[in-house]
Amino acid sequence: MLTYWWQVYRANLRASWAMMAQYRMVVLIWALWGFVGPLVSLAVWSATASAHGGPVGQGGASFTTSDFAAYFLLFMIYGHITMSWDVFEFAYRVRTGSLSPKLLRPLHPIHEDAASNIGFKLFTTTLLIPIWAAIYLMLRPSPPTSYWWIPASLPSLALAAVMRYVLQYVLAILSFWTTRIDAVNQLYFTLDSFLSGRVAPLALLPGGLAAAAQATPFRYMGSFPVEVALGKLTPHQVLTGMAVQVAWLVAVLLLLHWTWRAGVRQYSAAGA
Amino acid sequence: MPCQISLEKLSKTYRVTERAAGAAAAFRSLYHRTYKEVHAVRDISFTLDEGEVVGFLGPNGAGKTTTLKMLAGLLHPSAGTAQVLGHTPWRREHAYLRQISLVMGNRNQLLWDIPAMDSFLVNQAVYRIPEAEFRSTVDELVELLDLSELLRKPVRNLSLGERMKCELAASLLHRPRVLFLDEPTLGVDLTMQGRIRAFVAEHNRRTGATVLLTSHYMADVTALCKRVIVIHHGTMLFDGGLDDLAQRIAPYKLVKIDVESPEAAARAAAFGNVVEVDGVRITLQTPKAEAAATVGRLLAELPVVDLTVEDPPIEQVIGQVFAAEAGETPQAC
Repeated sequence: MLTYWWQVYRANLRASWAMMAQYRMVVLIWALWGFVGPLVSLAVWSATASAHGGPVGQGGASFTTSDFAAYFLLFMIYGHITMSWDVFEFAYRVRTGSLSPKLLRPLHPIHEDAASNIGFKLFTTTLLIPIWAAIYLMLRPSPPTSYWWIPASLPSLALAAVMRYVLQYVLAILSFWTTRIDAVNQLYFTLDSFLSGRVAPLALLPGGLAAAAQATPFRYMGSFPVEVALGKLTPHQVLTGMAVQVAWLVAVLLLLHWTWRAGVRQYSAAGA
Repeated sequence: MPCQISLEKLSKTYRVTERAAGAAAAFRSLYHRTYKEVHAVRDISFTLDEGEVVGFLGPNGAGKTTTLKMLAGLLHPSAGTAQVLGHTPWRREHAYLRQISLVMGNRNQLLWDIPAMDSFLVNQAVYRIPEAEFRSTVDELVELLDLSELLRKPVRNLSLGERMKCELAASLLHRPRVLFLDEPTLGVDLTMQGRIRAFVAEHNRRTGATVLLTSHYMADVTALCKRVIVIHHGTMLFDGGLDDLAQRIAPYKLVKIDVESPEAAARAAAFGNVVEVDGVRITLQTPKAEAAATVGRLLAELPVVDLTVEDPPIEQVIGQVFAAEAGETPQAC
């Protein structure tokens, strides 16, 4: 069974690389697009810290310019690893009927798409490493409390990536009911920007909003692995946070199962 | 031969919104939508045996593609049952999907930007085709469809006909036991149509696959199918032999004569229904039972230079079926 999945993902990875090699510049532009959000946030918060004349925030939740640099640089890297864009592609397929050939195969289309997602990240990460290194050298971010926190953050990063991917796929599946899914996705993206910590570290959000962010899945797909990597959490908080990630993952997987079953039943689109 | 496809009162009804044209109607539809039920397929029942090649005919919007999509598991029916290879298609069990293929002339499964061979390799993994079997199948398909020059080119650089050949090959790599072909020759030139037809016939002969084919090109049907199923407005009109269709729907013969003079041609109307006049060449339509007598009278009473008796072309027969309203012409079902 494991051999089967290995072969399926390997074949799809190869195909996705072959396609990306055809459009190298477009792929690079998409990869760089992921920089924009964290870079803008970094610029704004660095300017705020400079104007403030010292750390922003209070106590353990205070950020100096170097802290902001560390936070947003890591957010940039982890954001790249967890990014997902299936909503646009999937809605197009439902609208035009090009999903049909994929539904005829004895394989859930999520696997082909996930392989393509992984392929994109492996392909672009090699291009982005020098850029990340250059940003690191320019900004001189604060080091984590211990460098061991970086490998320790990888399981939570993997959980965040899978969680975000599956949740995005659930949103994509809503295209079975409304082919104009862009509005829903825009709402999701706006909520995600604030509640995942992309616009500002959650510790700096007003009290009510920070508490609300804890109750949503966005933090666990966004800033949580970054907070782990920077050593801002206690081991107990890390383990609790990962347990919450697992719970959210189970919830979104169940949601994926239900929406997919109902959605395929619904699929009779104009172009089906 | 064992029955491989069986449908019992299969129906599909779509619920679609409708509104009048104009801004006012558009505004009204924001808070009050009206829906209409469209019966794409109504109570269709038929069976197909293993190895049969059957033509599924009907004009645009007749319900052919909807039926094929239900059989391939893409659509859920509104009512009725179907069994294909012992499976209910819309349950979409992987064991079922591994044994069928649906080729749609207007849809691509091949990855657009890369050579078809890369898509073939993905299919090999997805359908769990062992390496040796994959190689031999590809070799066979390359030979039958003349693909050797095509498999290394990006799909987007292929012509429509070349792409269709590659699509067919991709759909057959896993050697499906049931093949649904929806307009496989759509938009391709005559030479390529002939090649695709010959290939489907040869594939059926070699593998014994059951084929259900829709096409607007009657040449596809006459070349491949002994049996046809005709549907119109979602209702089945006819299920039987191609020859039988002509007998039942168009029980007449076409008598073509060349006469010596235009004056003689003008007198031909007395012998039957004149369907075409081209100078001294006349085509008459006469009931089958009276054909022999009509020919005798023509030879006796007119200065006939040449005479032939033919069955009406199948295109004409089918056209006659389509022109009739489904509810009013239950001639043959």
